[in-house]
Amino acid sequence: MIDRLQRILRVARWEAARAGGGVDRRTLLAALALLLVAGGVLGGGLAAGVVGLDVDRDVYRVAVDGDSPYTDAVEEAPALTGVPVDDAVLGDTADLVVFDGTRSGTVETVTVRASDTPKGEAAAAEFREAVEAHNERLMAAEENRTAAFPITVALQYVGRTSGLDEGSTLGGGDGGSDAGSGEGGDGSGDGDGSDGDSADGSDGTGETGGDGTAEGGDGGLAVPSIGGGAFRADTVGSPGAISPPFPFVSLLLAFVFLVPMNFLIQAYGSSVLDERTNRRGEPLLVTPLSPVDIVAGKTLPYVAVAALVTALIAAAVGGGALSVVAVLPVAMAFLGATFVGAMFARSFKELTFVTVGVSVLLTTYAFVPAIFTNVTPVALVSPLTLVVFDLQGEAVGLGEILFSTGPMTVGAALLFGLGLGVYREEDMFAQKPVGRKFLDALAVRLRSVGEAGTGSLRSRSGLRALAPVAVLTACTIPFVFVAELLAVALLFALPVTVSIPVLLVTIAFIEEVAKSVHLYAGFERDAFARTDRVAVAVGVASAVGFFLAEKATAVVQAVGLTELYVGRAAFGSVAGAEGLSPLAVAVLFFAPLLLHGFATTLAAVGASRNRTYYVLTLALATLIHAAYNFGVVRLYA
Amino acid sequence: MRSRDSRLTIAGRELSGLRAEKTILLAIGIQLFIAAFSSFLVVGLVSMYDPGSLGGAEVEVAGAGDAVSDLERAASEVDGASVTRYEDAGEARLAFDRNAADAVVVANRNDDGGISVVVTAPDATVETTVIVVQLRDLLRTYERQERADRAAYLSESPLPLPDRTGTSPYFTFTYTVLIPVLVFLPVFISGSLVVDSITEELDEGTFELLRVAPVTLGEIVDGKALAAVAIAPGQALLWLLLLRANGTPVANVPSILVLMTALTALVVALALAISALAPDRRAAQFLYSIGVLVLFGGATAMAGGPANAVARLAIDSADATTTALVVAYVGLAAVAYAGVRTIVAENGFET
Repeated sequence: MIDRLQRILRVARWEAARAGGGVDRRTLLAALALLLVAGGVLGGGLAAGVVGLDVDRDVYRVAVDGDSPYTDAVEEAPALTGVPVDDAVLGDTADLVVFDGTRSGTVETVTVRASDTPKGEAAAAEFREAVEAHNERLMAAEENRTAAFPITVALQYVGRTSGLDEGSTLGGGDGGSDAGSGEGGDGSGDGDGSDGDSADGSDGTGETGGDGTAEGGDGGLAVPSIGGGAFRADTVGSPGAISPPFPFVSLLLAFVFLVPMNFLIQAYGSSVLDERTNRRGEPLLVTPLSPVDIVAGKTLPYVAVAALVTALIAAAVGGGALSVVAVLPVAMAFLGATFVGAMFARSFKELTFVTVGVSVLLTTYAFVPAIFTNVTPVALVSPLTLVVFDLQGEAVGLGEILFSTGPMTVGAALLFGLGLGVYREEDMFAQKPVGRKFLDALAVRLRSVGEAGTGSLRSRSGLRALAPVAVLTACTIPFVFVAELLAVALLFALPVTVSIPVLLVTIAFIEEVAKSVHLYAGFERDAFARTDRVAVAVGVASAVGFFLAEKATAVVQAVGLTELYVGRAAFGSVAGAEGLSPLAVAVLFFAPLLLHGFATTLAAVGASRNRTYYVLTLALATLIHAAYNFGVVRLYA
Repeated sequence: MRSRDSRLTIAGRELSGLRAEKTILLAIGIQLFIAAFSSFLVVGLVSMYDPGSLGGAEVEVAGAGDAVSDLERAASEVDGASVTRYEDAGEARLAFDRNAADAVVVANRNDDGGISVVVTAPDATVETTVIVVQLRDLLRTYERQERADRAAYLSESPLPLPDRTGTSPYFTFTYTVLIPVLVFLPVFISGSLVVDSITEELDEGTFELLRVAPVTLGEIVDGKALAAVAIAPGQALLWLLLLRANGTPVANVPSILVLMTALTALVVALALAISALAPDRRAAQFLYSIGVLVLFGGATAMAGGPANAVARLAIDSADATTTALVVAYVGLAAVAYAGVRTIVAENGFET
């Protein structure tokens, strides 16, 4: 064991030395120079006032009379641009025309005419917002505070179940927890609202920003300064300052953790593929080092860098150990996916696309659920949610940590396992298409079935040979869940009448592929004898593995994933069935096994023939599976 | 004539390599994923933070305090909220605890003529955000009415608001974020492709083979750049057509394509310069990522950045400045590419 550790460390040192040479001092200096130039330009721009992240600058054209008081409102809104009212043609040079009914110097009514397009409607809504923001600015400059802001609001969040005690207010008692929101020295001990205040940054579209700057001058007013301040439970503000709870700043900071991963996997992917070009990795392979040692050693420096960078970021943004614990599995998943990509890729070009794909997929998978941190417990499928909690200073239980980081860690380990399967001479240096390499990686994990005649199937060794089939199927479960979650997420936007059927078929397809693709690999790579008996045996073994693994993941239910209607369709087979007789429950419990067994055997028989048969039987199995799912949904609904 | 052929041959070779690896399919898949996911994101976010867009979301408010009648007056103007009056704050709170109300609003007149409102919203449930958004609407209407009552004390009265109109909250997002992202993704991919193509040839020694062929270094560079630039507008066009098929009309498509092709040439020039300078692929890709980040980060932040230019072109709010901007980008790209090509053709790549 110690020996092995030493071997791994030796490879790690070698890799670190090589990687250090790859990105030499000149490159780093060049990168630094680039960043400095960018920083200088941005800083100069900020000083000159031409910089602003207004992607919507001047997208709507509003025709307004030059004398009208609304001109100011239009000019202050970045998305609006004023055009002279005289030569404006609605729909051609203007999207909105403003008519103000001015009587004896004051504006009494206003009407707008928008072009009859979605753009006109959007312009009208934007204009209304601009006028609201303009009014806030006007009022902020008023002498008479009570007349300008007649209403002061104190907002508090109270849990219904825990009654009236003070401690139940959201985020109560963590006044100083939210680093980075830019306010210092606010010592109010039981200030609420790591949410409230961080959200203030999120709607700085107009009114709050203007409000804040106007407030800057006169201290001690009831209206809170929005620019850098908080809307706290025990502070009062005008209604315009209310912000819905949204952990915007924490979320942004959580994203910062993901940025270095993209650079890290570029270096890592290059290093792995480097071994494979020009047979550079061959000397390593012929040493007594096992592939696991080599890969572990090669990966170790990158994991160390990831841990170091994460710890530094955590220290900088005010996160704790929990942030590091949560981000490390994400880093492992990034590295694992890149490792597989680099093992499968044929060229640097292909690797680049793989790296971009890994980045995009994992970033969305980690980041998107975290947006819903305060909304639904499903958010915990992403470890980044833990980071957001950590930055908000909220307590997180051990169970939540395990639930959040567990699947990602297992997934990363499985990815490394998959890649290791092809870490051998015949695959590393060969220019095989990705698909064939994938089959190789799967087939490596299988044992031969039925080669010594069909009789061996009944013997102990025959059964033992089927175990890897079931285990391999079980291993696909994390990926099946990720794929299904993504499918749910992508189809979420569609109307239910469309999304449910599409979803049912998609999910059936994902599961059928997961259960049978390694069987196809087994037949193609001659691990399995091409007989129907063997096909049925491996099909049933795969189905059993899937069934057991799926039942084991009934944890999903515990976090309320099944509460979502769409979620119920996806995970219907693990949802509870209250109010049914024990027999019905038993039938419902084992019905999926029958389904999986039948569908997978069908696909396995097809796989044992050839590719065309496999595709056809896979489609058939998917349809059967989808029909079954549809029945389940009907039953529950 | 001969030189032109060899450039096309090299470009063709690059493209057939891409086709063989099916990488372009992966690239399109990635972009499709980003497009689908960002739409999901915005639909999810908007339905959370702008519940009006879902329609029919009504918040039941338990009102109490001596100014509650004014609150009711405000609620009659707001679609998404209704106020039920309770005797005192305690009763209102009880109703809240019994789930009879979504929120408690206690409004009392204070001594200096203002009104203090204490709002109690449920803690961290799915509905909290929706409730708070609706409450803000209600309280802002309330504030507006109270301001109108006090107009005599104001030196400038607030401007009247135009009527509320229905609008799709996705509209602005589609044009200002989604379309620029989709248009610029192929740009980055093309640049990355050039870095890979050159560093790979240098690494495997095939560049030397190419050098002994009767082509100049400049022609090799041209061929590779041509292939990378050629595949970019097609992808962008695909997205724009897809959006159009989905009912999002995109205006000024030719101008957008010209702009993005110019940017691709600019980024390809950057990629060429970096692969000429950097010692190996890892360093080159690292520098390229940082360079693109700097370039586009900086350009987006500037007034008249390419993202904003594309948004204004697509939404049909372009004016003479936008056209001038497109021309300026084309000029910039031509100068940058010609400059880099000349330097590389003279000095060669560092190996």
